[in-house]
Amino acid sequence: MTTLREPSERVDRRAVLMWTLGALGNSVFTYVVLLVVALVWDAVPFRWWAAVLVALAFAVYSVLMPRWRYAVHRWEVTDTAVHTQVGWWSIERRIAPMSRIQTVDYEEGAFARLFGLAAVTVTTASAAGAIAIEGLDKHLARRLVDQLTVRADAVAGDAT
Amino acid sequence: MTEGEQAQAPVPAPPPPETETEWLRLDPRMLLVHPVREVLRFLPVIIGLFVAGAATRDGTGRLQLLGILVPVALGLVRYWTTSYRIHADRVELRRGLLSTSTLATPLDRVRTVDLTASPIQRVLGLSTVRIGTGTAARLDDGGLDLDGLPTPRARALRQQLLTSIATPAADPEGTGGERLVARFEPGWLRFAPFTSAGFVIAAGLIGVGSQVLDQVGFFEDVDEAAWEGLWARVGVVAVPVVVLGLGVLVAAFAVLGYLLTNGNFAVSHTLPDGSWHVRRGVLTTRETSLDDDRLRGVSLGEPLGLRLVRGGRLSAIVTGLDRSESGSSALLPPTPRALVQRVAAEVVGTAEPVHARLVDHGPRARARRYVRAMVPAVAVAAVLVTAAAVDGLVWPAVLAAVVVLAALGLGHDRARSLGHALVDGWLVARSGSLTRRRDLLATEAVIGWNLRSTWFQRRAGLVTLVATTAGGRQWVAIPDVPEPVAVEVAVNAVPGLVDQFLATDRGLPAGGTAPVR
Repeated sequence: MTTLREPSERVDRRAVLMWTLGALGNSVFTYVVLLVVALVWDAVPFRWWAAVLVALAFAVYSVLMPRWRYAVHRWEVTDTAVHTQVGWWSIERRIAPMSRIQTVDYEEGAFARLFGLAAVTVTTASAAGAIAIEGLDKHLARRLVDQLTVRADAVAGDAT
Repeated sequence: MTEGEQAQAPVPAPPPPETETEWLRLDPRMLLVHPVREVLRFLPVIIGLFVAGAATRDGTGRLQLLGILVPVALGLVRYWTTSYRIHADRVELRRGLLSTSTLATPLDRVRTVDLTASPIQRVLGLSTVRIGTGTAARLDDGGLDLDGLPTPRARALRQQLLTSIATPAADPEGTGGERLVARFEPGWLRFAPFTSAGFVIAAGLIGVGSQVLDQVGFFEDVDEAAWEGLWARVGVVAVPVVVLGLGVLVAAFAVLGYLLTNGNFAVSHTLPDGSWHVRRGVLTTRETSLDDDRLRGVSLGEPLGLRLVRGGRLSAIVTGLDRSESGSSALLPPTPRALVQRVAAEVVGTAEPVHARLVDHGPRARARRYVRAMVPAVAVAAVLVTAAAVDGLVWPAVLAAVVVLAALGLGHDRARSLGHALVDGWLVARSGSLTRRRDLLATEAVIGWNLRSTWFQRRAGLVTLVATTAGGRQWVAIPDVPEPVAVEVAVNAVPGLVDQFLATDRGLPAGGTAPVR
């Protein structure tokens, strides 16, 4: 049995809180929109138990998804490659060789900054090859970017 | 990366045969082309002006004159303000009257050179040279297009551009020159009706036609009673006749379209610059040159319709081609399968991967193909059967049976199509049914691996293995491979990359230096 092991590093624990609040925000917004539509639009009869069920589904999603995602999200950088694992329902593992890295991006989104987190994106010459590591501590992310840039630079070639 | 790229740039590039350093203009004959083109572009406005003029009964016709003169003037300005040069190993294109722009690209970044000629240009003996550099950010106004050079000069320029980038390929006879690999045969036309092109053309015409009829008020005048009378008289007999008629119409359009785009088709390989040339077109001719160094693989298109008549098509996976310009990477239009396989073998340099037996993905992958094809069909069928039961009708039930049977056939074909192989340094992947493809990608061109799996796939122990690459559609996917097989493919295709992430028997991390801490 040849299988891949998981990348060694987890993302920052604060990411769970960030994802939870993000999911809650989205859920509340969607829920309010649905509620307004149900109340205003005659074609859909309003049932209180349906409203409760939907609310429950959103709540379960908001609590469960971020924890599931935290359990999945991992990353690892070696001398020759970057390896990540992201997702929850659908999981994607990506491996890109250091020699094919074209750009290294550091991004501190407005929401992520509240939690002191940042994302690092590594792109290759393929549209399907970009590797994103979300929810890293921002100081760690900075160091990672520097390290990746140096290592990617050390290999010649146009990376295609 | 800048350091890496500079180190890569071939410093002692062979000097181009004639280094042109003055700014050159396009051919003066373009003075005839540009205004016509601008008038065509402004046609809706001009028609609008004429209609407005007629409506206001403005007898002087000043508006209409303006409508013609402005586009013509624009065309002239476009000619006078465009110039280009090849200078210091760069192609530069300068244009614009009020806001001048100069587009420059290093010669060694030139990846493809396309020659097209519209009917007007052909009458005048001109061609447009499109220089492909593979940037994603192409300017809206056409990128590096030298619109209108005398055809011989355009060919010479292409030769110069391609020679300056290509490393001379092996030339066994030492003769150089062009070797014709395939050329248009009238027999190819039989494949046209089995492509979707005819449907697209016919649908477009029907769409436009119904718009026009609607504008004229045709549908409002239709008397429903008359329709019912007509139906009563011709009835069921008319349906097959109409269907057959439409079929013939669609096929005729497909053949005509095929003839216009692919007539005069020829694909050849030239040495010593080492590039493939594809020529085609009856009205608008198009010549595409693909540099050997940029060729990463080929894709054998085997859509269901073409498979029925033992046909296929071939396209190249090339780096540096715009994804939106996928048309220019076509190597063969719908043609006999044997020819597709022969040319594919010539392009990749070995026949092995073209004919290689593919590894089967096992019963679970096959089952997944069936399930994914059947679930939507069964859902639709359930609705139809319910409708049949409620309304007491027969035809929804029949339709439901047809839908389920079609889905079953589709699932079977999708299961049969699934497969992959690793032969001779080539990754071979095949999947799909209605649009089945067999992709051949050089393993050196793999620049990363993605393994995707949904929850359902994980339960079945399957993953979708995606090899990312810089050319073509940017990736080659092998759906639903048993995970150990997928990992083995990745390990064997690109040595030294995935090995370090393999799970060891004790489940401890293997290799890999400690990351930032």
